[in-house]
Amino acid sequence: MTYSLTDTLLKIWEMSGFANATWQQLVMILVSFVLIYLAVVKHFEPLLLLPIAFGMLLANFPMTDLLAGPLGDQPGGLLYYIYQGVELGIYPPLIFLGIGAMTDFGPLIARPSSLFLGAAAQFGIYIAFLLALALGFSPEAAASIGIIGGADGPTAIWLTTKLYQDLLPAIAIAAYSYMALIPMIQPPIMRLLTTKKEREVKMVQLREVSKAEKIVFPVVVSTLCILLLPSVAPLIGMLMLGNLLRESGVTERLSKTAQNELMNIVTIFLGVSVGAKAVGEKFLQLETIKVIILGLVAFAFSTVGGLLLGKLMCWLSGGKVNPLIGSAGVSAVPMAARVSQIEGQKANPSNFLLMHAMGPNVAGVIGSAVAAGIFYALFGG
Amino acid sequence: MTLLEGLQVLVIGLGTVFLVLIALSGAVSLESRIFNLFVKNRKEAPAAEITAKQEEVTVINASAGELKLINVDERTAAMIMAIVSDESQIPLSELKFKYIKALD
Repeated sequence: MTYSLTDTLLKIWEMSGFANATWQQLVMILVSFVLIYLAVVKHFEPLLLLPIAFGMLLANFPMTDLLAGPLGDQPGGLLYYIYQGVELGIYPPLIFLGIGAMTDFGPLIARPSSLFLGAAAQFGIYIAFLLALALGFSPEAAASIGIIGGADGPTAIWLTTKLYQDLLPAIAIAAYSYMALIPMIQPPIMRLLTTKKEREVKMVQLREVSKAEKIVFPVVVSTLCILLLPSVAPLIGMLMLGNLLRESGVTERLSKTAQNELMNIVTIFLGVSVGAKAVGEKFLQLETIKVIILGLVAFAFSTVGGLLLGKLMCWLSGGKVNPLIGSAGVSAVPMAARVSQIEGQKANPSNFLLMHAMGPNVAGVIGSAVAAGIFYALFGG
Repeated sequence: MTLLEGLQVLVIGLGTVFLVLIALSGAVSLESRIFNLFVKNRKEAPAAEITAKQEEVTVINASAGELKLINVDERTAAMIMAIVSDESQIPLSELKFKYIKALD
């Protein structure tokens, strides 16, 4: 056997990722660097964007076979197995379990009319759906794009996995990026659609909600929503289970686990596996840019929908409802409610809208899950 | 799918979202009413017992009128008023407190 140093070095070079990387992979590696920067430095939804960005980085290294499925006796790559939680629709409902355990539905129970605002703020979902259809997307893809307007990451991921997996990375990234950008997207629309007098409206303090009401609430919501629309069962069922664990007062350990350990573990797996789907050849297409633009349109129109109904409620109540709480009807808990609070306080420094906006905000979570369930009932399976 | 069919989906979809959430709103209102009725009935019964444990009420004549302190000492009340003034960025002289009550 002859040994040549040059041949060995050449062989090592040929086997390296540098020699085998395509231009798309290199671009995606750069995109992942930008996302890591945005998550770490700009704090853009870092809990999810960071795992997504790193998953994207890992998936675009050539020759790693991290996403390869099992072949004969050979097991699949690590990310292939982690991705099964997304593929089988397990992670998003588990995230909902954690969200339910973290959410206080008290403001919504105190003012049930908040639910109307949570419904109106789903308007953008359907506008984006129509626009996506007009741009030539299939109904399944259009529904997946539209759901970005619900401003609810797990719901968007759940529906896209069920309807049109090819768009999953673009939709997840758009949804989480726009959720982080809510303080920039919503205020100009809020100021454009409301008068200063409306923004100054002070709302009366919410009544106190009893513990018993809070315990019964998740049972009522699950029963009613799932009986009306069985396709929402995975999301609403888990959301309400988490909330029941929190409010019952007898499962503190389970509630804490759902809020912390389970939520964190699932968030890591969900983020990494969604990011890993952003493979250059599929991601670097014109469709991705369309998704990003349509996602922004969806967010904007959802804000408009909530604000317009807020204005109507303001008028009908004789000026007792501040329309700014309508924009919080897009989910994005609690960011959207905080934006309502900030804008309200800018108009009137003694205005405290946060708790009033939390009602529509958590109603938006239910609203977007219902909207996703409707799309799934129409186009899934 | 044509745009007209898409419009139908918009109407049906948004309509269903409203329908479900309106139904939910009705159910939550009903639930609250039932509980309030229940709580009201329960409150009326032991009312006599509660009177035994009388609240300690202090009345202070402040510059902006009368302020009732219920189970709260003056020092704590002053602190609460200062915090509210600071948080709301309204000068204390422009705020009017009717009463401050300690919750159990």
